[in-house]
Amino acid sequence: MKNLLKIAVVASVAGIVLSACSSPKPPKTQPTHKKAPVAAEAQQQTAAAPAAEQPVVNADSLAAEQARQEAERLEAERARLEALINQIMSEDVYFDFDRSELTEKAKELLAQVAELLMKETRFSITIEGHTDARGTEDYNFTLGAKRAMKVKEFLGAYGIDGKRMESVSYGKEAPKAEGESEEAYSQNRRANFRVNVRD
Amino acid sequence: MKYVAKAFKFSTLAASIAFWILFLLPTMSSAAIDTIAVDVGISVFKTMPIGIVPFTEPKENIEWIEEKPHQILTRDANLSGRFEVVASDKFNLALFSRNHVKHYVTGKVSKLEGNQLRVECFLYIAQTKDMLLGETYVIPQQELRSAMHKFFDLVIKRLWGERGVASTKLAYVSKMDGVKQVVISDYDGYHRSQITRDSSISMMPVWMKGNKGLFYVNFKTNRPRLYLKKFGGSEQPLFPHLDQTYSPAVNPVTGELLFSSTVDGKTDLYIGNPTTGKAKKFAYLKSNQTSPAWSPYATEVLFTSDRGGGPQIFVMGKDGSDMRRVTFMGRYNERASWSPEGDRIAYTSMDNGKMNIYTCALDGSDIVQLTSNAGNNEHPTWSPDGKLIAFSSNRSGTYQIYIMRKDGSNVTRITNSGENTSPTWSFFYDD
Repeated sequence: MKNLLKIAVVASVAGIVLSACSSPKPPKTQPTHKKAPVAAEAQQQTAAAPAAEQPVVNADSLAAEQARQEAERLEAERARLEALINQIMSEDVYFDFDRSELTEKAKELLAQVAELLMKETRFSITIEGHTDARGTEDYNFTLGAKRAMKVKEFLGAYGIDGKRMESVSYGKEAPKAEGESEEAYSQNRRANFRVNVRD
Repeated sequence: MKYVAKAFKFSTLAASIAFWILFLLPTMSSAAIDTIAVDVGISVFKTMPIGIVPFTEPKENIEWIEEKPHQILTRDANLSGRFEVVASDKFNLALFSRNHVKHYVTGKVSKLEGNQLRVECFLYIAQTKDMLLGETYVIPQQELRSAMHKFFDLVIKRLWGERGVASTKLAYVSKMDGVKQVVISDYDGYHRSQITRDSSISMMPVWMKGNKGLFYVNFKTNRPRLYLKKFGGSEQPLFPHLDQTYSPAVNPVTGELLFSSTVDGKTDLYIGNPTTGKAKKFAYLKSNQTSPAWSPYATEVLFTSDRGGGPQIFVMGKDGSDMRRVTFMGRYNERASWSPEGDRIAYTSMDNGKMNIYTCALDGSDIVQLTSNAGNNEHPTWSPDGKLIAFSSNRSGTYQIYIMRKDGSNVTRITNSGENTSPTWSFFYDD
């Protein structure tokens, strides 16, 4: 049913285009307007304009239809990419206190991220390293940097081109969880991802 | 003294000891109570008693918008760590003598045309009433605090032969609408003004040589980067060819900047000239290095290295030579700051997840804990005269700025609202 409808639409669109092509070239010179005085030329032109648009409108609607389909396709692709990006961005990797070594769990997660990046070659990522609120601002910058680097090295060893990865440390400046509990601390000792899509 | 003399009349050692315990101990403990707010350790400060008498005012009342002159001087005297204030409504020789007050300050205020005040300030010898110092300030009332700070620094100069810090300032980080901004204020917390107004984090402010502006870190490029803002000027990014720059430390002799830069996860120290924008690596080390600090005459630098796993403090020559480790106690010693007198360093140490401030000698010996059992205490910064240390603490529930003597005594809070962290003391102001 859908297909039939689509064909019908395409046929009607084709028909319009065809008729537009075969119709006499000067549709602007409609006899009713010919009598108009020279002084009314401006008015004539404006009046003629809608008439002239008639076939163009038809062509537009075709283009619009194509654009709509393209947009739909893009939207689907965008939604797919967004889902992937969200997936990558939700894959936070956690660390032990004052450590930058990857845990087994972290490696499992990163392997999934690496697989995604292998498939989606347009993706490049920024790896952000973070620490919990304890300790100095200064040392936590270096600690966050070490964590981000460990993640980058792991993904690199997995075969992701270093040019697609950038690392940055936020130290303790961008906590995910507020508070001074071990729960909050463990949530904040992390590396996470920002994804950029190349055209 | 009387008790000690009595004790020696007894012939047996036991009786002597008994007397020492009975009579000397109570006097010792009452002496300890007399020392104000000693947190940890004993006070190594010699304080000088000083009398402070309210200034005489004209008959037609002055509407004081802030504190009165003697109140500002009292706060300066208390904060300075150098004085024991003996307050008196009027000159009282009996009171002053009883409290060993050799000097007192007072003055006279008169009203002039156009909201101006004439403030005459005097420093007298209590016994003779001889004037040691007399200064007159003709000022609008808004400038009263600055004038009193100036006078108090002259008092310190006269009585101690040293420069005081009453006219210095602090830079620190204040959270506004959830975003860290850099602010400055007088050293006593008054006259605060905001320096950065970004939607991204600003942090780690340090003073330019000559107090002409501030270096700080901002995140507007989504990466930490150093900026310079001269007071009254615009912001200027520094060393843009280097990635992730932070931890600035100003060379007190040349004005150059020592800082950390992180490239591919590795953090090194760089030395840069903020005017030319040129920078080069300071030391080639395998470990990560951060939190640099200069010695008073810029011949050596302190820094933190993670070569042992956690952060520890090291020192090396200004050419990167002769590196040696300073801290050995505990697993987390960070952000050292060299005392202006050159003999000690202050730093932050983490134990059981809590941060506390310590000082030690340059060979790591003679460790003194200055803060304890009062939340986190971090980011010590020395006053330029070396008598005081400012720091941030969340002992009140929120992070605020405090000043204490270098022995940990006389802790005074100087900020009251919001969240304030990471103070750095200005240099002296040389008129």
